[in-house]
Amino acid sequence: MPKRLVYLDNAATTPVRPEVLEAMLPYLGREAFGNPSSPHRFGRAARAGVDQAKRSIAEALGGGGGGGGGVEPAQVIFTSGGTEADNLAVIGCALAARDRGDPFRVAVSAIEHKAVLAAAHAVAHLGGEEIILPVSGSGEVADAALNEALARGVAVVSVMWVNNEVGVVQPIARLAARCRDAGVPFHVDGVQAFGKIPVSLSDIPCTLFTISGHKIGAPKGIGALVVRDRHAVEAIIHGGGQQFGIRPGTENVPGIVGLGAAVELAAREQAAFAARAAALRDDLERRVLAVVPDAVINGASGPRAPHVSSVSIPGTDSEALLMHLDLAGIACSSGSACSTGAVEPSHVLTAMGVPRELGVAALRFSFGKENTEEDVEALVAALPKIVEKVRHLSAVLHR
Amino acid sequence: MTDRVLVAMSGGVDSSVAAALLVEAGYDVVGATMKLFCYGDSVPDRPCCSLDSITDAQLVAHKLGIPHYVLNFEDRFGRDVIANFVSEYARGRTPIPCVRCNSFTKFRDFLYHADALDCAYVATGHYAIARDGALFRGRDVLKDQSYFLWGIDRGVVARMLTPVGSLTKPETRTAARRLGLVTAEKPESVEICFVPDDDYVRVLERHLPSDAPALAPGPVVTTGGEVVGQHDGFARYTIGQRRGLPGGFREPRYVVAIRPATREVVLGSGDELLGHAVTLGELNWLADPLAPGDPVWVQCRYRAPAVPGRVRECSPATLELDLAEPVRAITPGQSGALYDADGRLLGGGVIA
Repeated sequence: MPKRLVYLDNAATTPVRPEVLEAMLPYLGREAFGNPSSPHRFGRAARAGVDQAKRSIAEALGGGGGGGGGVEPAQVIFTSGGTEADNLAVIGCALAARDRGDPFRVAVSAIEHKAVLAAAHAVAHLGGEEIILPVSGSGEVADAALNEALARGVAVVSVMWVNNEVGVVQPIARLAARCRDAGVPFHVDGVQAFGKIPVSLSDIPCTLFTISGHKIGAPKGIGALVVRDRHAVEAIIHGGGQQFGIRPGTENVPGIVGLGAAVELAAREQAAFAARAAALRDDLERRVLAVVPDAVINGASGPRAPHVSSVSIPGTDSEALLMHLDLAGIACSSGSACSTGAVEPSHVLTAMGVPRELGVAALRFSFGKENTEEDVEALVAALPKIVEKVRHLSAVLHR
Repeated sequence: MTDRVLVAMSGGVDSSVAAALLVEAGYDVVGATMKLFCYGDSVPDRPCCSLDSITDAQLVAHKLGIPHYVLNFEDRFGRDVIANFVSEYARGRTPIPCVRCNSFTKFRDFLYHADALDCAYVATGHYAIARDGALFRGRDVLKDQSYFLWGIDRGVVARMLTPVGSLTKPETRTAARRLGLVTAEKPESVEICFVPDDDYVRVLERHLPSDAPALAPGPVVTTGGEVVGQHDGFARYTIGQRRGLPGGFREPRYVVAIRPATREVVLGSGDELLGHAVTLGELNWLADPLAPGDPVWVQCRYRAPAVPGRVRECSPATLELDLAEPVRAITPGQSGALYDADGRLLGGGVIA
């Protein structure tokens, strides 16, 4: 067992924050376990928790819904997580458009999370069409491709605010305005943006917005889709009439309460966190480049969120690096995917034009609120030896 | 180097127990499962090597409190093992992919990872015993897997740990139950891991061109040269086979030869199936090479008894052995594993 464990994989998930856990506990036990749809006191206690969470989330995302373009509590629809919220946005918009007789077609960026890409693919599988919007070398969605998609007519455009693998930040306000002007619903996957960069939907005319709990210290299994126009989406799962029928099913009350608490904390702490994370990231990148001079920082040419760093180490493969780092007590993730067949670079790095040999050698480090300079120190201390070993291994295996 | 050991965990009971016993013995154990081929929908769940097996290996590793990793060897396994499996059948031979998997994958590629991880040792769940740089048969005569290990690099043997080699299979299961391993009651895997339903012809059909001679019709002939029927691909036959042959003979008939050049499958009597000598190619030695006149025991098929013989000729490339007693169905492509009288594996080769 390594002496000290270093967790640099906060974009994958985070531990539940103690304040969040504390907020949730009453809703797990006798105190407020009720079904929020029940009119009795047990139900009312649970309902209060759900309503409070909606308020907190609406407030944190821009508040002041009354005409100012903010978010109203009733616009917050809870889901089982970011994946479901993304699916509801993409497929739900496509189905609604089909019912209206509008184009059964969706446009998503090439660097979206698989939850969006696979949902777009599902639309195509259902008889619709998917348009993949290419990105530039710095990861930005190309205006021309968006304009072309809008001209053809689409049910929804979906672009993530912050990319989960490289941290690239999209000009989301501009993209949203373009879609609004074209009269097309715009979905923003904000899972990696919220709590990391300033997020206020009062400035962003998007129709739909996804957040996820477990990336910000709430438990896994809870997320939300902000639905600013209920007519834009159709339900993709069906049941009782909860949440206006957009996402029926008895609400995950403890999860919802946890999400509300985590969102509140994340919004309050965002600026301070961003400053700390950016300092740690810059430190990490500078020091990694000092010990591995030919390392390449992916996506560094464009605007980036502060908490993610994608580093390719030539002559290695990320699976082996991950294994060696793990044995040294350091947790991060790779920029590659084990698809059927051999290890391939991730779709994100590929879409950004990162060469294959760098794509399969990419590591993602992502910071959370608990990381310190000692974590960077430990990584930088362990890395040179590991890189040397893995380079040797890769050379032998690819001989 | 430390006393760190990299254990190949297939997700079966044998390698699970191997890992557990090493943990008990105080080694610094790292578990790894080799992903050897693509588990598509076309490959239904297998007792071994499936994604479920990776999950089982992970569960066992978690229970043992050791790290576990999945190593992707698909490219190299495809090249070193599956491609050879296909080309051997295409040449009218009957290969043993497990031998090449041990030689090239488990005890070569896996070693590269062990080296990178500073592992002094590698371990597997093989029923064979590595001791003082020498390899011996496993204690359980019914399970002994040393036959498949003749091709590994001699230098590796000193780094091999074989914790279940000195156990019987029932003892291994007992140990698994005692240790509370989820794999304790897992059924035995007896098939070739990348061949679903034991249907190797389907694998050949997928890898060979549709007009490959090995899968095309050809004559069934007797050793006397008489054509007695047609077959639909010599790759469907193996030496010693009796089932699925034309009938009408007074005595039982067996496949005694396959002639790929003429696509002939040759039938003969049981006597004609007996071999009194064997020639081995692709030699590998786990002891000092033998010389003409040396006595040796040779095993020509998995689970067949070894028979005594004597070296007639030996070059770096081939070894010719005279057998003291005839051996039935000596089959090109199978292995001849060489042992001394104490069950030490001396090396071996591929039957020419």
